[in-house]
Amino acid sequence: MSFLGFGGRPQPSSAEKVAAVENELKVVAEMHSRMVKVCTAKCVDRTYREADLAKGEAVCLDRCAAKFFEAHQTISEQLQKEGAQRGLGGGM
Amino acid sequence: MDTGLTAAESRELDTRLQKRQVKEFMSVFGNLVDNCFNSCVDDFTSKALSGRESGCISRCVTKSMTTQTRLGERFAELNAAASADMMQKR
Repeated sequence: MSFLGFGGRPQPSSAEKVAAVENELKVVAEMHSRMVKVCTAKCVDRTYREADLAKGEAVCLDRCAAKFFEAHQTISEQLQKEGAQRGLGGGM
Repeated sequence: MDTGLTAAESRELDTRLQKRQVKEFMSVFGNLVDNCFNSCVDDFTSKALSGRESGCISRCVTKSMTTQTRLGERFAELNAAASADMMQKR
């Protein structure tokens, strides 16, 4: 038993712990799904003349995935920064 | 992934993840139908799919599955790299 001296934050319940993990995986899965949609739209030729992925399309998909990730992180960071600024600016 | 869950909690999580996987498959399936239909079907002079449209749809499905797999691999790599990065920064 550790005494944190913070007035004791209640331990998350079993349900909360499971929900937290599930939620994290849900966020990741959603991001994956959005990435597939977006990169397919940007990289795959919609005439579907061939069943095989062309080399150019494959390379485009790889790069799209990497850029998508980077964009996601950049936007996330910027939102946090601006959110904090605005929060302070518009505070009581 | 060390999440600090008990055995019972782990089982509960597994059940939920299985349900989630089913939902996700349905979602992938739905997107696939929408995408391939929109890309391949444009001619409504007949109510049956033409040979061209059927061929297009078939190729669309194959290509979409290949794309999904490839992006899944890339995503896993990028996710792992991002997590490792975050761990280092802590």
